[in-house]
Amino acid sequence: MNVSVSWDADTAVEEMYAAHYRRLVRLAVLLVRDQETAEEVVQDSFVAMHGRWRTLKQPDKALAYLRQTVVNRARSVLRHRGVRAHHMPAVQPDHPGADVDALDAERRTHVLDALRELPGRQREVLALRYYLDLSEAEIADTLGISRGAVKSHASRGVSALRHLLKDAS
Amino acid sequence: MNDFPGSPEDQDLRRLLNDAVSDVEPDQTFDEIRSRTTASGSSRRPWIWGVGAAVVATAATITAVAMMGGSPGTTGAQDPGFANESPTAGAKDGTDEPSDGPSSPQANPVTVPVYYVGDTGRGPRLFREFHTLPGSGHVPMTLALNEAVAGTSDDGDYRTDWPASTTVDPRVRAFDGGAITVHLRNSEMDLRERPDNMSPDVASMAVEQLIYTAQAGTRTRAPVQFTLNGEPTEAVLGVPAAEPLSEGDPTEVLAQVWIIEPAEGAKVESGFEVTGLANAFEANVQWELMQGEEVVESGFTTAEECCTMAPYSFTVKAPPGDYTLVVHDSDPSGGEGFPPWEDTKNITITE
Repeated sequence: MNVSVSWDADTAVEEMYAAHYRRLVRLAVLLVRDQETAEEVVQDSFVAMHGRWRTLKQPDKALAYLRQTVVNRARSVLRHRGVRAHHMPAVQPDHPGADVDALDAERRTHVLDALRELPGRQREVLALRYYLDLSEAEIADTLGISRGAVKSHASRGVSALRHLLKDAS
Repeated sequence: MNDFPGSPEDQDLRRLLNDAVSDVEPDQTFDEIRSRTTASGSSRRPWIWGVGAAVVATAATITAVAMMGGSPGTTGAQDPGFANESPTAGAKDGTDEPSDGPSSPQANPVTVPVYYVGDTGRGPRLFREFHTLPGSGHVPMTLALNEAVAGTSDDGDYRTDWPASTTVDPRVRAFDGGAITVHLRNSEMDLRERPDNMSPDVASMAVEQLIYTAQAGTRTRAPVQFTLNGEPTEAVLGVPAAEPLSEGDPTEVLAQVWIIEPAEGAKVESGFEVTGLANAFEANVQWELMQGEEVVESGFTTAEECCTMAPYSFTVKAPPGDYTLVVHDSDPSGGEGFPPWEDTKNITITE
């Protein structure tokens, strides 16, 4: 997997975008909730990756870098938004509807809302583990924490999420 | 690759998280990334798309992020690659589509809430439908807005009053958590002015239609900033719009009785359930199943709450045939006040 390619930075961005953009946006939505913000976070990460391509050189490293940058930037956005949350209207789900699409949307809303309730690290570990399917070691690398910490955030996050979703249903 | 045990609970969580974002279709903004990486090599370029207060806020966010984000190092000791590029265990049910690129926009359909205008006893009011559209890779909210200005409602009683050739720019980032920006375009006429053949009521309802659709699409009640052909505008259809606009009072904007299921033209079996939302006098919801002028079945139910749009439901049994289902509130004035709120759907009961 450790392939060096002869891409220049522009080609690297193009290739990585084609292969990973959507999944990274979806990861960011799990982290920040709002899609527009998620897209900004991911775009900024691609721009940052472009600037670093000279040292990354390999698609796998570039991907690890993108993942890490998305998680870090998502965290910064949330920290920044914490201040603004007070003068923002509360998120109000769409009117309840009994049709299947509305129920689907409502279920998704519940899960995303529940994730937002979790402490940041737990949310990050769950998203990396269950959405990106990363290994414990990969998550530890991405977040810059120990494997033991990953384990404990994961188990706390899982039980907190289970609790929140039970309450919601 | 994954050293977590694959317990049934793990599988559930995988499904849950994959499902939670399965309707997220990112805008395809490769050109914008490209313009940022080639222009000056700097990421602190002006945030060029869009105008107005929302964008100022966005630019502030991005600058803050750029400064706070730090520069994570790489740690690729094993470089295991992206575990999820092929379908993984647990990601069943089609929730784990392969990634796509700018050259192959995914056509996953997306279902979006769209508001339309219908005439009621109290003038034009909004009704909501759910429309399933081919995903074009754009933000679902912008798809919904285009469907609102130029799409066709399922129910023939509803309509859009937006002038022909109006579109909402789907490529523009529109929501930063503070305000939603709706970028209107029309090259044939000036949308600032209210057209001569449009009443002020209709114009203001057309604006509310987009505010409600944008808010439903972002699941917020954030105010909406309109722009016109990429420029700030002081008015839209004659409605002052220099500042972001909040939604109008739902009791004055929404029709107060909606049928959600069955949809217009639905084929159902006898014993089908009707669901909807109503803000009815004393929460009393009445209904008739009509064939022409003849009432074949009728009944009443109570919405879950009074004095707000609250869910109601009832079941209907009738022989096979084509019908019009009418749901309305009671008229407390005995015919002297406004006509009751009502919604109708043409349906077919099958064998």
